[in-house]
Amino acid sequence: MIKLAKYLKPYWLIALLTPLTMVGEVIVDLVQPKLMSSIVDDGVLAGDMDLIISTGIKMLILVIIGGLCGIGSAAFSGTAAQSFGCDLRNDAFRKVTAFSFEQTDKFTAGSLVTRLTNDIRAVQQFVDMFLRSFVRSILLFVGGIIMMLSLDISFGIVLVCALPVEIIIMVWFLKKAVPIFSQVQFKLDTVNNTVQENVSGARVVKAFVRENYESERFDKANEDLTETNLRVQKIMAVLNPMLSIVLNISVVAIIYIGGLQVEAANVLGSGMGVGEVMAAVTYITQILMAVTMCSNLFQSVSRAKASADRVTEILETVPVITDGDNSDAAKVSGGSVTFRGVSFSYPNSSGEPVLNGISLEIKKGESFAVLGATGSGKSSFVNLIPRFYDCTEGEVLVDGVPVKDYKLEDLRNKIGMVLQKSELFSGTAEENIRWGDENAPHEEVVRAAKIAQADEFISKMPEGYNNMISEKGASLSGGQKQRLSIARAILKKPEILILDDSTSALDLGTEARLQQALKTELEGTTVIKIAQRIASVKSCDRIAVLDNGMLSAVGTHEQLLANSEVYRDIYNSQQKSVIEQEGGGN
Amino acid sequence: MAENRNSSAAPQPMIPRPGGGRRGPGPVMVVEKPKNAKETLIKLIKYIGSSRAIFIGLIIVMLIITALNLVAPSLQRSAIDAISADGVDFVKMGNMLALLLLTYALNAVFTYFQGIFSAKLSQFAVRKMRTDLFAKLVRLPIKYTDTHPHGDLMSRMTNDVENVSTTVSQSIGSLISSVLTVIGSLVIMIYYSPLLTLISISTIVLTIIVSAFMSRNMRKYFIAEQTLLGTLNGHIEEIVTGCKTVTAYNKQKDAADKFDGISANLKKAGIKAQIFGGAMGPSMNVISNIGFLLVAVFGGKLALEGAITIGTIQAFILYSKQFSRPINEIANQYAQIQSAIAGAERVFDIMEAETESEAGEIEFHSEDVKGDISFKNIQFSYVPEKPVLKGFDLEVKSGEKIAIVGATGSGKTTVVNLLMRFYDVDSGTITIDGKDISKVSKSELREAIAIVLQDTVLWDGTIADNIRYGRLSASNEEVLNAAESANADVFIDRLKDGYETRLSESGSNLSQGQQQLLSISRAVLKDPKILILDEATSSVDTRTEMNIQSAMVALMKNRTSLIIAHRLSTIRDADRIIVVDNGRVIESGNHEELLANKGAYYRLYKNQFEGIAT
Repeated sequence: MIKLAKYLKPYWLIALLTPLTMVGEVIVDLVQPKLMSSIVDDGVLAGDMDLIISTGIKMLILVIIGGLCGIGSAAFSGTAAQSFGCDLRNDAFRKVTAFSFEQTDKFTAGSLVTRLTNDIRAVQQFVDMFLRSFVRSILLFVGGIIMMLSLDISFGIVLVCALPVEIIIMVWFLKKAVPIFSQVQFKLDTVNNTVQENVSGARVVKAFVRENYESERFDKANEDLTETNLRVQKIMAVLNPMLSIVLNISVVAIIYIGGLQVEAANVLGSGMGVGEVMAAVTYITQILMAVTMCSNLFQSVSRAKASADRVTEILETVPVITDGDNSDAAKVSGGSVTFRGVSFSYPNSSGEPVLNGISLEIKKGESFAVLGATGSGKSSFVNLIPRFYDCTEGEVLVDGVPVKDYKLEDLRNKIGMVLQKSELFSGTAEENIRWGDENAPHEEVVRAAKIAQADEFISKMPEGYNNMISEKGASLSGGQKQRLSIARAILKKPEILILDDSTSALDLGTEARLQQALKTELEGTTVIKIAQRIASVKSCDRIAVLDNGMLSAVGTHEQLLANSEVYRDIYNSQQKSVIEQEGGGN
Repeated sequence: MAENRNSSAAPQPMIPRPGGGRRGPGPVMVVEKPKNAKETLIKLIKYIGSSRAIFIGLIIVMLIITALNLVAPSLQRSAIDAISADGVDFVKMGNMLALLLLTYALNAVFTYFQGIFSAKLSQFAVRKMRTDLFAKLVRLPIKYTDTHPHGDLMSRMTNDVENVSTTVSQSIGSLISSVLTVIGSLVIMIYYSPLLTLISISTIVLTIIVSAFMSRNMRKYFIAEQTLLGTLNGHIEEIVTGCKTVTAYNKQKDAADKFDGISANLKKAGIKAQIFGGAMGPSMNVISNIGFLLVAVFGGKLALEGAITIGTIQAFILYSKQFSRPINEIANQYAQIQSAIAGAERVFDIMEAETESEAGEIEFHSEDVKGDISFKNIQFSYVPEKPVLKGFDLEVKSGEKIAIVGATGSGKTTVVNLLMRFYDVDSGTITIDGKDISKVSKSELREAIAIVLQDTVLWDGTIADNIRYGRLSASNEEVLNAAESANADVFIDRLKDGYETRLSESGSNLSQGQQQLLSISRAVLKDPKILILDEATSSVDTRTEMNIQSAMVALMKNRTSLIIAHRLSTIRDADRIIVVDNGRVIESGNHEELLANKGAYYRLYKNQFEGIAT
C-alpha cells in the first residue's frame, strides 16, 4: 500500500491542508460547547439578554468559520483523493495497454476491469478517509488525554486500565474478521464473473433455455456471498457493544473517582469541583471514541490493502515483450520476413511446442500462404512476426533485422494485421477504418473500404460511413466485421499485410473479388495469408504447409500437388466433390 | 436519434439503433433523464422491508435502545449531582451508578441485537436485489443485451448493487435510531413548552431548503460519477478484449488518452460530489446553532416575563440539543444515501426493462415436435426503414436438411434469430408443425432446437461441464459419446486433465476450432428435433471438418436441419439449398439442380473452386 503513496505526492500540499483546516473545525467544536453553556448559565439563567445576544453572535461567527473549515477540509481531501485516484487509474491503464497478451490472459479481462475501477476506488476512498477521520481521531485522542490529565492526574488510572482492554478487544476481533473480509472479496469476484459470463453469452443461455439453471447457479454464489458477509458482520456486531461497555464502565469509574477526589478536596478545602468531573466524563468519551474511530479505520485498512495489492500487482507487472534498442532498425524498409530455426510454445502452458524448427524466407512483395489443420500452428506462426509473442528458440527477422531489435512501434507500423476474430471498437465505421491511418483523407478511407469489399455495405447503412458501430461490432455480421478489419489494415499501407484466416465469414463471391482487388491494388506489399480453403490460396506465389507445428512443405500449388501428401489430402477433401461433380454434371 | 449522435462529443458507447418506439429503453444518457428519487426510495424500502419480522425486530430493539439512551444522561446527571461542594452523597451516587451500569449493560445487549438485525436486513435485501436483478438479466430479450454496452450492464450489477449494499448496512441503523431519537425528543420538548418547540422546529424549514439545494447538486454529480464509471468500465473492457488489435495498430496511446479524458471527467464529478457532500454537515451545524440561539433568546424573554421557569428552559435546551444531533446525523448520511439512490435508480432501470414473455397461448411441447417449419412472407428490420428480410418464404419438411447460402448481409443469420425468437418478426408468420411460434412458450420452442453459433460461448468450468450444458442430466458416458461423435475427443484426450481440464475465461486456452468442436458436442448432447448450424464449422479446417462430417451426417439424421455456411463442401450434401439475396429466397433446389440452372448458385460455386472471379 505504501508503494501507492507516491501517487499522493504531487498533491501533498492539498493533502496537508486537510488536517490544517480540520484543526480549525475541531477547535470550534471544542470551544462551542463552552460558549453554549455560558449562554445558558450566564445569559438565560441570569436573565441577561445582552449577553445572550453578544455571545450568541460570537458563537455563530465561530460556527460559520468552523463550518467553512469543515467544507474546506472536505474539498481538500476530496481533491487530493480524487486526483490521486485519477493518476493511479491512468497509470494502471497505460500499464495494461503495454501488457503482453499472455499477461492480459493471465489477469483476465473481468479482473482487469475490477482492478481499474472498484479497487482503485476503494484505495481512493481510503485516502480520503485517512486524510479526514484518521487525523481527526488522532487530534481528539491526544487532545483528550492531555486535557484529562491536566484536570487531575488520578484520572490516568482509568485510562491505564481502559485503553489496553479496548485495544486488546479490538485486535482480537479484527484478527478474526480480517481473513473473512478477504473471503468476502473472493466470493464477490465469483458473483461478478457469473454476471460477466451471462452478459456476454446471453444468446447461448437462451438457446439452451438455461435461464433457470443460470439463475440457480448465480443464487448459489449469491447465497455463499451473503453468508460470508453475515459471518463477518456478526463478529462486528459483538465488537461494538463490547467497546461501548468498556467506554461506559470508564465513565462510571471516572464519576466515582471524581467523587472521591471531590470528597478529598472538600476535606482539604480546595481543588476539584463538579465542573471538572463533568469535563473529565466528556474527555474520556472523546478519547475512547477516537480509538473506536481508529478501529473502523483499521477495518478499512485491511480492505483497502487487499485492493491496493491488486492494483500494485498491475503496476509491478513488467511487460514481457519490450522495445529493442537498435535505432537504425526504423530505417530499413521492404517487407521481407525470415524465420531461422524458430520454435515456439505458449507461455504458461505445459504443452508441447506449437511450432518446431521452422526456417523459411518470405520475399518482399510476395504473396505467401500458410495452410494447415486446426492447431497446426498457423496463427502462432504469424503472431511471431509483429512480436505478439516471442519465439522460444531461433529468431524471426523482418527486412534482415531481428524483430527483437526493433522498437515495437516501428515494427508494428510496418505490419498490417487482420485477426481471425475481428475486433472492432465503438465509433463510426469511418473511425474504425481510420485506425489504420488517422490522417487519411476521406477518399483514402473509401478506397480502402472498396478494396476490402466493405464500401457496398457501409454505403447501405443508414448513415453510411458515419454509421455508429456498436461495441465489438455486435450489430454487424461476421463477414461485415471481417471486411471492416481488412479495410482498416489496408488503409495503414503496411509493408507486410497479414490476413489470419480473416476471410472465413465471407461468402465466396466476395472473397474472390477481395483477392482480385488485393492483387491489383496492393502491388509490392508482402501478403501473408492464412486460409482454410485451397481456392483462397491457390493463386498465391508460394504456399507453406504446416503439419503439427512443423513445416511440411513449401512451394507453388502445382509443386505441392505433386510433392506434398498433406497438401494433396487437403486438396482432395475440398476438391474431390468438384471433380465428381464436374464429371457427373457435364 | 440523429440529434443524439451529433451531441455525443462525450464518450457515448450506446448503439444508435432506435428502440423501434415500441419497447425497450432508447439509448439515452442516464444523466439526461428526469430522475425520481422518491420513487426509487420507495422501491428500495420495499426491498429492505421484505424480511418483515427482522425489520420489526430491529425497530423494537432500536426503540429500547433509544429509550435507554434518553434515560442514561439523566441518570449520569443525578450521579454527578450527588457530588456537591457540601460533600458527596456516596449512597445516592452508588445507587445511581449501579442503575447506570445496568442501563449500559442492557444497552450493550440490545446494541448487539441491533447489529445482528441490521446486518441480516441489509444482507437479505441485497441478496434479493442481486437475485432479482440476475433473474431479470437472463430473461432480458437479446435485443437489450445487443443494444446496451456490456461494461455498463456489468457496472450496474456490481458497482451499483455494492453501493446500495454498503449504504444499507451502514446507514440504515443510524437512520432509524436518529428518527426515533428525533421523535422521542420532540415529544418531551412539546411536553415542556409547545411555543419553544415551535420556534425550535422553525429552523427545520431552513434545513429543508438548504438540504434540497445541496442534494439536488449532489445527486447530479453522483449520477454523473456513476455514469462515467460505467463508461470507463466499458472502455476498459473494450480495450482489454481488443488488445491484439490495439497493439497491432500501436493505438495504446490513443486508448490511454481517451481513458485519461473519461478519467478526468470522473475526477471532476467526484470532487464536486464530495464537496457538496462535505458541505452538508457544517451547513446543518450552523442551522442548528441558529436554532439554539433562537430558543435561548425567546426562552430568556419568556423567563423574564415569568411565562416559564428557568428549570424548564434548562431541561428544554438539554433535549433540543438531543433533537438537533440526530438531524445532523441524518445530514451526514445524506451523501452516502444519495449515491446509493443514484445506484439503485440504475439498478431499477434494468429491473423495469421489459422481459421476454414466458407463457405461450397455444400448447407446444418440445418432445412432441415433428420438425415442419414454415416461414410465410416474413418482413423484418433491426432498424426501421432498413428491412433485412423482405417477404422471406420457406417451407421445410420434417427431417429435411436445408442449406442456406447467400452473400454476406443477405439475411441468413436473421432467419435464425427469428426462428429462435431472439427477435420477433415485423410481419408474416413462422410456424413449427403448423403452430405459430409467436404464440408458443419461448422456452419450449428453444428446447426443441439446438443451435451452434458462429461465435462460440464457453463457460468458466471444466470441458465436461461445458458439454453437459447441452443436457444437464447427461451421464459422463453420454458426455463422452457426444464429444466422440463431434470428433472433439481427439484433442480433449491430448489435454493433461482431459475432460476435467478447466477452461480459462471464455475458453481462451483453446483454439477457435477446438472451441467450436465443444459447442458442436454440446448440441449433439441436447439431441433436439431441429438443428441449426450457423457457420458452425467456419473455424474448423477442411480436414477436420471432413472428420466431423460423418458425425454431422449422423447428427442430422431424423432431424430438421438448417445449415448456414459459405463453404460448399459443407452444404453440398443438403437435401435442398436455398440461395438468399436481398432478404428473399431467389433460388431453391439440390446441388445438381442448381448447378444445372447456371444461376446464382452456379456463380458462387465457380468462385469457390476457381479462386478468382472473372
